[in-house]
Amino acid sequence: MADLALRAENVRKVYDRRGAPPTTALQGVSLVVRPGERVALLGRNGAGKTTFLKIAATLLAPTSGSVEVFGVDVDRRPEEVRPLIAVVPQEGKPFFHLTPREQVYTYLLARGFARAEAKRRTDDALAQMALEEVADRLSVTLSGGQRQRTMVATVIATEAPLLFLDEPTIGMDPFARRAVWASLRTLSKKGSTILLTTHYLDEAEALSDRLYIIEHGKVLVDGTAQSLKRDTGGSLRVSIAGGAGLSGSFASFGRTFPEAGALDVITTPERLPELLAVAVRLGLSTTVGPVTLEEAFLRVVGRSIDEDT
Amino acid sequence: MASSGAFRGVGAFSYTEFYVQAHEYLSIATSLVVQVILLIFVRILAPDLLGVALLGSILFSVFALGQRVQNEAAYIRIDHKLNELYLASPLAPESYFVGFSVGILAAYLLPIAALVVATVLLVGMTAFTAAVLVAAAAAIWVITCSIGYIVSTLFRDMRAIWPYASLFYNLFGVLPPVFYPIGLLSGSLRTAALLVPPSAAAAIVQWSVHPSVLAPGELLLAALALAVESVALFALGVVWSRRSARES
Ligand SMILES: Nc1ncnc2c1ncn2[C@@H]1O[C@H](COP(=O)(O)OP(=O)(O)OP(=O)(O)O)[C@@H](O)[C@H]1O
Ligand SMILES: [Mg+2]
Repeated sequence: MADLALRAENVRKVYDRRGAPPTTALQGVSLVVRPGERVALLGRNGAGKTTFLKIAATLLAPTSGSVEVFGVDVDRRPEEVRPLIAVVPQEGKPFFHLTPREQVYTYLLARGFARAEAKRRTDDALAQMALEEVADRLSVTLSGGQRQRTMVATVIATEAPLLFLDEPTIGMDPFARRAVWASLRTLSKKGSTILLTTHYLDEAEALSDRLYIIEHGKVLVDGTAQSLKRDTGGSLRVSIAGGAGLSGSFASFGRTFPEAGALDVITTPERLPELLAVAVRLGLSTTVGPVTLEEAFLRVVGRSIDEDT
Repeated sequence: MASSGAFRGVGAFSYTEFYVQAHEYLSIATSLVVQVILLIFVRILAPDLLGVALLGSILFSVFALGQRVQNEAAYIRIDHKLNELYLASPLAPESYFVGFSVGILAAYLLPIAALVVATVLLVGMTAFTAAVLVAAAAAIWVITCSIGYIVSTLFRDMRAIWPYASLFYNLFGVLPPVFYPIGLLSGSLRTAALLVPPSAAAAIVQWSVHPSVLAPGELLLAALALAVESVALFALGVVWSRRSARES
């Protein structure tokens, strides 16, 4: 097997469709995913995450650049790549007139699994996604989150060598999200490689070994959640209520971000007492917590992941 | 099931699509409404044409399957994004196309069989006509499903498909001599009718009942047209399904 599960080099994509001006969705994305790794693509709406995933999954032609999956070029030999992958599409839905059990089972048959094996995997995947109670109801009668769980169950049941999941936990409750995380961790222990996109920073942090932050079709940075947080220049975030206009008074303690009327300061434990003293002198109340990926994202992109453009 | 190569997974995906369609019994039950109304009109207004109209309604029903393939494939892609699930998998892209076609045919076979039974009961059918009918219907099925699948990949909005579909299927399925005898047309219209798949099929089936309706050259033309069209469009459908598995 090739030493990389996925290697993308300088992938560009310009959508040029009738009735719309050309849109550059990717402007030279390069990234690698090693076998068994769980990697997250983080980025704001329109950053290019789905475009990249579709290109890597043989579903969209790149304008230029190349992607290899286990050493096989996706553009030139898609038929060799497809048996190695499985995809949860963004906003996909199961067949409305199949039950979750039928959806997972028939999908496994279509992928070539024998019946007994397909049945065993179906039961297992439905249990992992806590779908047993609704497993025999037509999907048309299921809630949005239950349908999404069905999509994830369908794909994890394949245990394909490389899984692409485009916002797999969208619309799920916290329990279901954690069930997805647990399943994906189990899968990667069994040897599958996972590339997912998400808007949830906690998900990226909890789930991925490594992550790439993408903005305007470019990779801005990659690293572990730990390394990205370290790069913010501190380990603590001090939120100063009503401090939005006072960044001058706090700039010496570290990076500052205005946040909904408050001022967030990234600082170190050593500087904390001094900072708090200044805040007290100015009569401002403070909240202290650990630095999160949110601050790392803000530092790299300059905007919050869910801020409107 | 073959584990590699062309048409991999076609049985399983056909079964999936049949299973999905079988839940739409209302749609299956109402699939004959237009045909039955037309047959009633014919029975009242021109009873001697009932045999032609019955055979035509069978062929029209098969032709209309293409519209179902088209709507289903477009809906599953645009609304459900399931094409991504199935195409980024070991399932061959041509199996995805053929699976829709076979699954929908299987689900709608019952109403079509009902028309065949009605024909046998009301006007009778020789074994020869039955054989010709099956061959002609098979050609129509291949042609209409290939066109339906190809067209389904061209649209990005479900609502844009509807007006196109109703125009196409009525223009080619109802206007030419499918429900009425080819003998009513002459000259270039008649030649055109022998080239358009539904009316070519209908002409051949009418010929199997009354050999005098077609000159030998005309029979050859219609049969050749159907054969060439079905082979060419199926080949195009296969190539197209492979190419369109990846958007550009
Ligand atoms: N089919 C298309 N035709 C034209 N432009 C497109 C098409 N799909 C995406 N785009 C554009 O390409 C850019 C990247 O889109 P993409 O869907 O890859 O973003 P994303 O990071 O997945 O966003 P989101 O978080 O909203 O899912 C956007 O500017 C988008 O408008
Ligand atoms: Mg997206």
